[in-house]
Amino acid sequence: MSLTDTVPLHASSQSDIDEIENLINASVHSGPATVLPARPPSPPRAQIPPVWDTVKRDLSRIVSNLKLVVFPNPYREDPGKALRDWDLWGPFFFIVFLGLTLSWSASVKKSEVFAVAFAVLAAGAVILTLNVLLLGGQIIFFQSLSLLGYCLFPLDVGAVICLLKDNVILKVIVVCVTLAWSSWAAYPFMSSAVNPRRKALALYPVFLMYVSVGFLIIAID
Amino acid sequence: MMAGKYTHLDNQKVSGSVDSVPAVTDSGEVAIKFADSNLETFPPSQARGKISGGSRPPRDADDTFSKTSLGSDEAQPGGWFRSFTVDAYKPYFDVDTSDVLDRIKESLFPFKGSFTEKTASSPDLYGPFWICTTLIFVAAAIGTFVTYVAHELKNQEWNYDINLVTWSAGVFYGYVTIVPLGLYVILKYFSAPSGLVQLFCLYGYSLFVFIPALCLSVVPLEIFRWVIAGVAGFMSATFVALNLRAHIMSAGERWFFIVAAIFLLQVALSVVLKLYLFTVTV
Repeated sequence: MSLTDTVPLHASSQSDIDEIENLINASVHSGPATVLPARPPSPPRAQIPPVWDTVKRDLSRIVSNLKLVVFPNPYREDPGKALRDWDLWGPFFFIVFLGLTLSWSASVKKSEVFAVAFAVLAAGAVILTLNVLLLGGQIIFFQSLSLLGYCLFPLDVGAVICLLKDNVILKVIVVCVTLAWSSWAAYPFMSSAVNPRRKALALYPVFLMYVSVGFLIIAID
Repeated sequence: MMAGKYTHLDNQKVSGSVDSVPAVTDSGEVAIKFADSNLETFPPSQARGKISGGSRPPRDADDTFSKTSLGSDEAQPGGWFRSFTVDAYKPYFDVDTSDVLDRIKESLFPFKGSFTEKTASSPDLYGPFWICTTLIFVAAAIGTFVTYVAHELKNQEWNYDINLVTWSAGVFYGYVTIVPLGLYVILKYFSAPSGLVQLFCLYGYSLFVFIPALCLSVVPLEIFRWVIAGVAGFMSATFVALNLRAHIMSAGERWFFIVAAIFLLQVALSVVLKLYLFTVTV
């Protein structure tokens, strides 16, 4: 049987669909008994490990999600579009990176600093999502975790800058700027998720979490 | 191949049923159309079953399997399982921004005593939880700032003490969890029962006054800090006591002990905070 694409697919699921189609086409053409691999076997010497493809695809997804969430773009106001292809690798990477950066800049109790930072960020994302759900908001649990993780990117950048330059005034300025950036990134998603009369109730904890992380960045030296 | 069944996913609304699919299918034409976000994300409008039932398995993208059992499935599986779902706690978060602000303002004027009437029908846990969390952050921040300034003024080495955060988390969450529980048990013993959630709500909001108190304690005058600590402890204790007046009065002659215990605990909390956060040994 023949397959036709009649609807344009979302760009980021294109690669998944492509692979499935390749497999289907290959099996159709070569008969039901064999399923060809997606690419002909290469000579043993120049073997490209297939895991690189997966990693590349995940990385490109992380980058595209990051661009959608953190940088200005026309889809920001629509939470359905903004993080349709959510994933948890990006947030995980950002949280661990922030914990490592804080731990690196700490002069004492490095492992405790990492533990507290990681716990606060991870538990904080879960609690913030639960908060919105309890207030009667409509969000998808993992999509919200994903978004809160991506919004940590500006704070990651701020933490790296503070790691490199140890001046208190500079730290305060950098943290304030990146804090505002993170809050701006998280605002449309969170505020559209709840009843407008409860918007502040949903947004305040987000702001609180980012402020406390910002404070950690300033204080740790 | 089963492609025929998936032909018109985008036509299948939430209330779609199995019957409608073949009728819409074009015979012979097999097109795989993927509705916009059905593959990986579930649009919010379909989220009702997927999020709120934490103990239930996720539903299928096209609801056809679960539709028939939807009616009976809504009855909760087990009595105690309910306490693990988000839905069980939703009634305690049924407040608007204006309600929360109103209750906070009430807590700043302890002598009015009208807090219990206002929250009798809808005690909330949002206020207590987030006030405690804010207090943890404020306490850690102010404590750190005070020691930093003290060390800087004497040009001494200073390192951030992460234990402040964990310590204050333990103190505040522990206080708001254990003390109302204890009071609940005691009031029940004296046959003047009060709802447990009301007590959590009351104690949570009573801690709000510590936020401005901690902020004011940055001033490096020892006597000023003690005065602030005392006033804050007294205000929050009065708030709790006056709002429990009805219950305490009906507890008989032992009311004095209950009031004394309430006062003692709140003032002790205030003193402990003052001592731990603002004792600077340089």
